[in-house]
Amino acid sequence: MNAERHEELAALAALDLLTSAEQVEFASAVAAHPELQALVVSLRSTSAELAHTAPSAEPPAALKSRVLATIAALPAPVAQPSTLNAQPRAGGGTLIQFPTWLALAAAACFALVAAYFGQAYQTERATAATLRDQQSLADLALRSTQNQLEAERLIARRELADATAKAAESTRLVATLESRLNEATRASADTSRLLASTREQIDSARRDLAARDQRVTDLTRQLAAQGTLADYKIATLASLLGNSPQSLAVAVWNPANQEGVLTVQKLPALAADKDYQLWIVDPQYSNPVNGGVFRVDPTTGETRVNFRADQPIKTLARFAVSLERKGGAPKAEGTMVLLSPASP
Amino acid sequence: MTETGPTEQPDARHAADARLLTRIAAGDRAAFAELYDRFSRPLYATALRILNDASEAQDIVHDAFVALWEKAATFETTRGTAFSWALTLTRNRAIDRLRSRRRRAELLESSAPSDLGLDENSSGPSADDSAATSDQATAVRAAVATLPADQQRALELAFFGGLTQEEIAARLRTPLGTVKARIRRGLLKLRDQLAGSL
Repeated sequence: MNAERHEELAALAALDLLTSAEQVEFASAVAAHPELQALVVSLRSTSAELAHTAPSAEPPAALKSRVLATIAALPAPVAQPSTLNAQPRAGGGTLIQFPTWLALAAAACFALVAAYFGQAYQTERATAATLRDQQSLADLALRSTQNQLEAERLIARRELADATAKAAESTRLVATLESRLNEATRASADTSRLLASTREQIDSARRDLAARDQRVTDLTRQLAAQGTLADYKIATLASLLGNSPQSLAVAVWNPANQEGVLTVQKLPALAADKDYQLWIVDPQYSNPVNGGVFRVDPTTGETRVNFRADQPIKTLARFAVSLERKGGAPKAEGTMVLLSPASP
Repeated sequence: MTETGPTEQPDARHAADARLLTRIAAGDRAAFAELYDRFSRPLYATALRILNDASEAQDIVHDAFVALWEKAATFETTRGTAFSWALTLTRNRAIDRLRSRRRRAELLESSAPSDLGLDENSSGPSADDSAATSDQATAVRAAVATLPADQQRALELAFFGGLTQEEIAARLRTPLGTVKARIRRGLLKLRDQLAGSL
C-alpha cells in the first residue's frame, strides 16, 4: 500500500466515508503506520472547518435555554472524587475543643490517610484507564477481525456467485454450441442429400439432353433425307430380250450421295462366265459410266444391289443393263438386256 | 469557534476549547454555557445545511450538546480538537436523521448550488453575512475557494450530503476512484491552505 492510498483512506476516514472493507484495510494500515492516526486527526480537524462554509445561521436564543435546562437536570459528566475539606467548619459552638497537639496529630493522620487514599485513587484510576485502553484495543481488534471476516465472507460470496454465474454461462454456451453443431450437422446432411439429388437431376438432365440431341440428330437426318428424297431419280428398266420380255428392273438414284439401289426381277439365269453389268448414261461422258456387276437368283431371276458410279454423275440420262463377261467390261460390249427411258 | 475574537490564534483557540471541555468534564456548567456560545453557531449552521429544516436542526444541536456534556470526560486532545469532536457529534446525528428520512433524495435535489456555500459564487460571505460571520469563516471560505470546482463539489457532498462514496460517485456521474482522489486532494490542499490562513 503506498502513501497515496494511506492519504486516501485517512481522508475518507476523516469524513466517515470508509466502507467496511476499507475500515479493515485502514485498521491494518494504522497498526503498521501509527503516524496515520495523526493524519486522520489532522484531516478530521480540517474537515470540521467545512462547517464554516454552511450558510450563516443564528440558532434561536430559546435553544440555548433549552440546552442549559436539559443539562441542569442531568448529573455531572463523571463522578468527581470526593474532596476532603481541610478547613474547619465555621461556628459550631457545640464542638468539643481538643488540645492543639491533638488537632495537629489528627490533621497529620488525616493528611496521611488522604495521601494514602489519593495515591490509591490515582493508582486505581491509572489501572482503570489502562484497562479501558486495553478493552478499547481489544474491541477495535475484535471489530477489525469481524469486519475482515465479514469482508472475506462477502468477497467469497461474490466470488462464488461469479463462479456460479460463469459456470452457468459456460453451460449455456456449450448447450448453444451443441445445438448449433447439431443444426449444422443436420444442415450438412440436408445439403448432401440435396447435392446428391441435384447431381442425379443433372445426370438425368444430361441423359435427357443427349437423348434430345440424338433425336434432333435423327430428325435432322430424317429432314435431310426427306429433303433429298425429292431429288431421287427413279427409273424403270424394261426388258430388251425377246426370250424374256417379263424381265424388269427399278433403279433409284440419289444424286447427293452418288449411289443407288437396283431391284431386278425375272432376269434369265447367267452362265458361270457371265455377269450382268449396270450402266449409267450421263451426257457429259462419251460412254456410259460403269455402275457395277451383279448376278441374279438362278431360280427367281431376282436380286437387289446397291451400286455406285465409277465417275461422278451430273446429269442422269438413263440406266441400262448389259450381259457381259465375268467381272464386267470397261465399256458396254455385250447384249443390252434392260434399258430405262431417257431422262428418268 | 465562530464566537471567538478575531485575534485569537488557532492553537490558542483549540487550547481554550480543550480547557473548557476539561472543566465541563468536572461538572462546570458555566464552562458548558461558554462552550455553547463558542460552538453553537457553526454546529447549528451545519445541522441546518444538512437537514434543511430549522426545527430538526435545533433538535440535533440540542442532542449533540447533551451528548457533549455526558461524554466530556472521554474527550482526548490526541484524537482531535474539541470543535472537530463536537462537530462529529452534531454531523453524525444530522446525517443519521437525514438517512432516516424517506425523502432524502428530494431534499438534496431541492438544494440549489448557491445555497451550499461552496460554489464559485460563494467564495466569500455575502454582504449581509459579512457583518455576522467571523474572520475564521471568511478564511475557511477563501481557502475552499482555492480548490478546483470538482474537489469543492466532492467535499461538499461528502460533508453535507450524508452520501456514501458510491452515492457521491453516482450523483457526480464520476468513477468511484476519481471521487476518492478528489476528496483526498481537496482535503489535503484545504488543510495546507488553512494552516497558512488560520
